[in-house]
Amino acid sequence: MEPSPSLPSGNGTAGPDARTDKPSPVPAAEAPGPALDLSPSVTPRPAVPAAGPPRRLGPIPLDRRTTLVVCAIAGLLLALMWAGTGYRYEPYLEAPLARASDGDRTETGDRKQALARLRGRERQLAARLKTTAPRGVYVVIDQTLNRIYLKKDDVIMLEAVCSAGSGMVLKEGSGKKRQWVFETPRGSFEVLSRSQNPVWAKPDWAFVEEGQPIPKNPSDRLEYGSLGEYALNFGNGYMIHGTLYERLLGRAVSHGCIRVGRDDLRKIWASASIGTHIYIY
Amino acid sequence: MTLHAHSGVLGRLARRPGLGISAAIGLLLAVGACSRAPSSSAADDGGATNGARLEHRTALLQRELELTGEKDFYLLLDPAAPDLTLMLRGAELRRFQVLGLQVGYPRVSWFSRRDTRAWQGVIWSNGELDPPRLIDRIVVTAVEAAKGGDAGKADDAAEPPAIPPTPEELYRVPSRFRVRFSDGLSVEIRPREGDANTGRFTRLRAWWSAKWGDVAAAMRSSNRDAVRLRIILNPKDADSLYRSLPPAVRLLVLSGSPPPR
Repeated sequence: MEPSPSLPSGNGTAGPDARTDKPSPVPAAEAPGPALDLSPSVTPRPAVPAAGPPRRLGPIPLDRRTTLVVCAIAGLLLALMWAGTGYRYEPYLEAPLARASDGDRTETGDRKQALARLRGRERQLAARLKTTAPRGVYVVIDQTLNRIYLKKDDVIMLEAVCSAGSGMVLKEGSGKKRQWVFETPRGSFEVLSRSQNPVWAKPDWAFVEEGQPIPKNPSDRLEYGSLGEYALNFGNGYMIHGTLYERLLGRAVSHGCIRVGRDDLRKIWASASIGTHIYIY
Repeated sequence: MTLHAHSGVLGRLARRPGLGISAAIGLLLAVGACSRAPSSSAADDGGATNGARLEHRTALLQRELELTGEKDFYLLLDPAAPDLTLMLRGAELRRFQVLGLQVGYPRVSWFSRRDTRAWQGVIWSNGELDPPRLIDRIVVTAVEAAKGGDAGKADDAAEPPAIPPTPEELYRVPSRFRVRFSDGLSVEIRPREGDANTGRFTRLRAWWSAKWGDVAAAMRSSNRDAVRLRIILNPKDADSLYRSLPPAVRLLVLSGSPPPR
């Protein structure tokens, strides 16, 4: 058997010239027939099978265009569903009143009695509610915005800046390893005591913060003048008092007390007495 | 036959005017009697409505009293005023004027998932801000006390402490925020024209994220956000409410011509 002219000479194996990246579908050694031309340029491509009838889903042909249309419709539906999911807002409307429990069953006289009873109850509750509201002067403190309000029967008599607790955490580096959080408490309080030219008995944290030893003699704890002219004590060591640092008013810098400027403190002092309510939020 | 009878009656009335007048009076009385029946039923309805209103107001007062007896802060939303008041033990702490009020219900694919529970005149509890107001606490570890009290001198030599920021600088208020209550009610606070100063892209991004948030919330099976109240406030009031709202606040929506406070 003579080698084919297009094939390299020899034993029928593919030589360097005939080397291709793709493996030949038929090994050259087993190539049937002498005239088989395996050069890439002329290798006949395997015949594409003739396109049969398009697949169908019932009467709908599943060709490319149909698939695209179906996908578009599905996407549109999904988008429509997405658009219709969420919250629908409508103007506020009063809920319809439930019928009175006495309803239509009762006779006119009974109904009148029931109405009178309800009116009496309403008056009684309204009166009780009124007693819960503070009477006279009271103090409201917004500890986040550092504002203090002096109010009388819901009328604001004074609005001033103040300084509330900084929220700082102080940890003792040695010794008992105590920890203090300098926050102003929220809630309802009362003025428990009032003092003019108050003297501050410095607590332990004041010495710890300054890095000074805690004195054993109580008189070494006293500090004069730092609380301003007046102090209104509302419990647990918390006070409304003056400050030496008026430029810091409006910022949360205190250790939990409420610091107020001198002029505003004078007005508060003049209006507030023992028992005056203090509301801190 | 009937015609004849009628003409006979009319003829008789025409002949005797006194009979005609008495017939007219009788007719008027009959009409009056007929019209009295519906008016008495209207009075009955009015009485029942009055009764219902009174019962409702009494129930509201009872709930308000319940709130004043506890140590939690609470909000009273009065749609009639309209205002939102922060209160504690019956004392008014802060009043915010409400500029707009809407109610939102979830819906999935255009189908409403309206919660049938009553939310007006009911106390909602454990209201928390969303996103929460974070407090950036400064933690200081004190240096060991020096013997002889020299630490103060050392502090004097050190740099003076920085001036802390104001609350306006400290707490950035989101353009819209919610107060979420347990059991499904949430209140969305929006400043009026809150988005007016932002760019188009920022607004689009906010809308996009809000929409996805709404989609997720509406599809959730739990009753979180079952009812949303959208309250529009002045921008300053909205900021102030976000910065000052105490934790675990409660809410009572006063409805149906609430009693005067």
